[in-house]
Order: sequence, then structure tokens, then C-alpha cells
Amino acid sequence: MNTFFFKAAFCAYLVSALGYVASLLVNRFRIAKMALWLMISAFLFHSLFLLYRLFETGQTPLLGFHEALTFFAWVMAGIFLALQFKTRTVVLGAFVSPVVCLLMIYASLGLRSAVTIPAVLQGGLVPLHVILSVTGEALFALASCAGAMYLLQDRFLKSKKAGRISRLLPSLGDLDRINHLCLLWGFPLLTMGVLTGSLWARLALGNSWLWDPKQVWTFTVWGTYAVLLHQRLAIGWKGHKTAVFSLLAFLLFLAAFLVERAFFTTFHRFL
Amino acid sequence: MGILLIGMSHKTSPLAVRERFSLSCENRDHPLDRIRQMPSIREALYLATCNRVEVLVSAAEEAEQAVEEGLKALMAERGGISGQELERCLYTLSGAEAVRHLFRVASSLDSLVMGEPQILGQVKEAYREAVEHGVTGILLNRILHHAFQVAKRVRTETGIADNAVSVGYAAVELAKKIFGRLDGKVILLVGAGEMSELAARHLLKQGIKSIFVANRTHARALEMAEQFEGKAVVLEQVPEVLKSVDIVISSTGASNYVLTRDMVAAALRRRKNRFLFLIDIAVPRDIEPTAGDIDNVYLYNIDHLQELVDENRNHRLREAEKAEAIIEEEVGNHTAWLSTLDVVPTIVEFREKIEGIMKAELEKSASWRHSLSEMDQRHVESLMASIVNKILHEPTACLREQSRNQNGKAYAAALRKLFKLER
Repeated sequence: MNTFFFKAAFCAYLVSALGYVASLLVNRFRIAKMALWLMISAFLFHSLFLLYRLFETGQTPLLGFHEALTFFAWVMAGIFLALQFKTRTVVLGAFVSPVVCLLMIYASLGLRSAVTIPAVLQGGLVPLHVILSVTGEALFALASCAGAMYLLQDRFLKSKKAGRISRLLPSLGDLDRINHLCLLWGFPLLTMGVLTGSLWARLALGNSWLWDPKQVWTFTVWGTYAVLLHQRLAIGWKGHKTAVFSLLAFLLFLAAFLVERAFFTTFHRFL
Repeated sequence: MGILLIGMSHKTSPLAVRERFSLSCENRDHPLDRIRQMPSIREALYLATCNRVEVLVSAAEEAEQAVEEGLKALMAERGGISGQELERCLYTLSGAEAVRHLFRVASSLDSLVMGEPQILGQVKEAYREAVEHGVTGILLNRILHHAFQVAKRVRTETGIADNAVSVGYAAVELAKKIFGRLDGKVILLVGAGEMSELAARHLLKQGIKSIFVANRTHARALEMAEQFEGKAVVLEQVPEVLKSVDIVISSTGASNYVLTRDMVAAALRRRKNRFLFLIDIAVPRDIEPTAGDIDNVYLYNIDHLQELVDENRNHRLREAEKAEAIIEEEVGNHTAWLSTLDVVPTIVEFREKIEGIMKAELEKSASWRHSLSEMDQRHVESLMASIVNKILHEPTACLREQSRNQNGKAYAAALRKLFKLER
């Protein structure tokens, strides 16, 4: 049952991603609409999978690395779908669904069994820390997807090639709104994630700042987004600049993540 | 029964002739009232729009010639023009040709602006009127409903209605691509001009909040402001107003730039980088071209818009080919249905005749069947019924099958002869 839901969700995500790509290739909005419905069903299966895991193991299914990845994918898909109520951005799924698919593939490599959690990580603070941080990061990932699509549409409109594909892409206004909403929600969530993490570190280890590579990196990313949010809200950055900046910020986040995983040992690694 | 269509369209007749048939003249009776009274006509549809007049009737096949003459005379009378003049404008189609024509009309393939959506509504309205006049029957009902389906298929399966094909709509489409929704947005119209006013009107229909109108002469600005229910400003105020508008349509006769790059850049800072869509319809240009390089500013001039329109028009033409293929397929379906219609009465009569024989024989045998038990009597009856059904099945199926490849009539005739069916 457990893997059935996961497989069903993955298949639906995959077909949905193919549908999105196809809709861009043959320039048909109807296919994108169908892909959206597939993504909704994938999300439901995915939710069932996570719930099943939760009840089966009796612990929040996100402390293992692969578990955290599916959770990341789930949050990303969920927020994208929720945004469909506020904006007309169906085709943005063409950027979101492949990312979700990749996360699911990677997650599937190590999902066989539930991880055992050492005593020091037990308690409510650690899952809370992970949920908040991962949700915040998923929102940033979505902001970067919207940013990438924004740059594409912006190029079409600036070069007056507003014909074929451009018709399918969401409007600049909607994409910018997604960027805005994701920053607005993602930043406080990540902030709270960092705070709960350091609170836990203080309680469990007696020190809230450990010079752990992941702490340093997260703090840098947090700082970058703080600057972006400030520019957006106070200075009035909008559109093109924020799209570029949020794309770069997320690439920085990814690069740091990969470098850290490859070259550093960190206290912070997933189980 | 056959289908006959007589009509004229923007392709075959001048407006001066078409307008004489418009339905808006209320003092005259509806043409269907007249058509209904003509002999041999069973069903009728009268469609009149500004671009076409079409009369579609179903009539007995042998009377087709007379019906055609009658309809032409009626149209000449209604239009108040000579038969000769009318003849030049009219086309007459029958059978599958007529069906194809109706399908193309309903799908907007025959429209002046191909792919425009109004025509389907007009055909539906004409059908509603025909139903109200009680002049529809099995043939027209089927053709019209089929036409509505075809139109829907063409609309969803081809891109014939995609993209704007006029400069005004192109501006609306671009604005939607930039802003998403247009409600609450503000327009500034600089200078007067037919094309710019048309574009403004298209935009206003999309829920634009308010409009500013600027002109060199204040009196003219006031006049236009009244016309658009907007606010009038003088040309010198334009840089100031820029901070609170989202879309600018400019078409002055000025020889130098009305809006320079610096003005736009300054306005953008003051409006906190909110998107600005500049449409420059003027020749020579009103807006400094480099203004379009600024982030979040989208500048389109008349050539850009025209290019977009041309590209969209070509796209529609390519899509029209797909639509024609769909229509061919559906005309085929319709013809197949029609030809099964030819054999249906024969099948019914055939069945009635054989069943009649069975019933007669059962009655004849009533005297000796009395001696059987009730159960056995019922057994005999169901045995007979099942034999009859088995015998009927093959010829009936064969007849339906043959009717699809045009042989229906010959087979039906043979069957009638073999079994001595009446009529």
C-alpha cells in the first residue's frame, strides 16, 4: 500500500509533466489543462502516501533525506495548485512538474524503510524546524520557477515575438504576483525554521550557533532573500529585476546545497 | 426529400443588396411566414446577418426546381430588385453541397473575419425562429444540431479562433499578457485618431477603470474626454500623469517625441516600477524607441502590432485547412445518416408485413390451439416470434449496411418488389 501510493503519485506527476511539455510543443492550452488535473490527482496520491507513512511509523515522515525530498516536492506541488485559485498560471506547471518529478525520482532511491530516529532528535521541535524550513525553501523554489518563466515571457514581449508560445505562457502580472506571494510567505517561514532550529540546538546541545556548514549556508541564503524582500517591499523592485534576483538566489541555494553535500561533513545531515 | 439552399454572402453580393434583406425592419412579416405557405416545402430556415442571407429548405425532390423558382421570386420581391440582378448575387446549393455550406458558415469558415464567434449565435437564433414558426422537422433538426456540433469541434480542435486579427484586439491581447487582468487599470489616450480610439474602446470593454485624454488643444481633449467619460489633460501634463496610468496609446501629429526615454524612466521610478504598456500608433513616432529598453516597459509601435496581426491571420489560414478536413468528415457522416433515412421506411414496412403474416397465421390457428395448455400456447407464440425475428434480422442489417454505400435505394426497391410492399 505504502509504495503503491508513492508509485501512483509519481506516475501521475510524470504524465502530467510530459503533458505540460507537449502542450508547449504543440501549442495547445487544452493539454496543459489536462496536465493540471493529472497533477491534482498526483498530489492527492502523494498526500495519501505521506499520511500513510505518518500512521504507519507514528513519526513525521521527514527526517530522512529522501523523506524530506518528497515532502519538499509535495509542498511545491501543493502551493502551485493553491496558486491556481488566485492566478491564471496553468502553464507554469511546465516548470514546476518536472522539478517535482526529479525530486520524486531522487526520493524513490532511498524510501524503502523508515529511518530510526536517535533520542537527541526526538521531540516536537525538530519536525517543526524541518517543516518550516522545507516549506520556506519550497516557496523559494516556486518563486524561482515563476521567475524563469517570467524571463521567458518578458523576452518574448520585449522582442515583439509575442506570437505562438507567448500566448500560452502566463501573463507577466500573474507571474510577478506568484513571485511576490512566495517571497512574502517563504521568508517568514524560513525565518521561523531557523529560529526553531537554533532553539532546539540551545535546548539539546546548549549552544545555538555551531558553525555548522549548513547553518552558515542557510544563513547566507536567508540573508539574500532578506535583501530581495527588502528591495521588493521598500525600494519597489518589481518584474524583471526580482525575477532575475530570485532565480539567482535559488541557484545559489542549490549550489551551496550540492557543495555542502559533496565536500563537508555536517552535523545537520538528514538521517 | 431533398435539401436546398439559396443564399448570398459578402463574397457574392454588395452590401447595397444584402441590406435589403435585413430582418430589422419590423413592419414586414417574417419571411418564414411566406416560405411556409409555399407548396412542397416541408421545413425552412431563414438566416440573415449583415454579411449573408441564407434560405435553407427541405422539399420533395421532384419539386426542387419549382421550389427554387419560388424562393427566388420571393427574394426578388422582398429585396425589391430585379430577378436578373438577384441572379448575379445568389448561389444555389443542394444535397451534400448545401450541408457543407451550412457547416462552413456555422464554423465561421465563410465569415468575413474568419473565426469570428458571432455567426454561430446567429445561426442558433435563426434555428430558434424556425422552431417557433413550426417549420422544422427531422431533416433540418438533424442538420442544424449537427452544424452546432461541427462548429464546436472546429473551435476546440483547431486554432481558427486563436489570436487577434485586428490592431485593436492585438493591443488588448498584449495588455492581457502583460497585466494578466485589466480591471482596475488606467489608460492614457494621447492625441486623437481613428485607430487609437478604436484600440481604447476595445480596452475599455475589458474592465479598465478610468481613462485620461490628452490633446494639444484643450477643447478637443475635453470633447474626447466627454466621449470616453474620462478626464481631460493638456499635453504638458502627460509626464506627470504617466505615474498613475498603466497603458498609453499615443497618436498625435507631432513631429518630435511626445514621450522621451527620460520622461518614461522618471515616471517608472515614481510608480515603483509597475508595468507600463506603451502603444505608439503615430507616424512619425511619438515615443522615443529606446524607452522600450527600460525594464518593465513594453513599447509597441504600429509596425509591431501589424506584424502580430499578420502572423495571427496566417495562423488562422493554416488552421482553416484543418477545419475544412473536419467539415469534409462531418459532411460524410451526415450523408451516411441521410442515406440510412432512405431505407428506414422500407425496413419498417418490411417488418410490419412479416409480423402481420405471423399474427394472421396465429389467429387462423386459434381453433386448434385451444386444446393446448396455456403454457404451451405461449410457447408456440414465442417460437413464431423468434423465427420471424431471425428471418428479419439479416435482410434488415444488410439494407442498413448497403445504404451507407449509396446502394440503399436499389436494395430497398428490390426488397419492396420481392415482398410486394405497398407505396
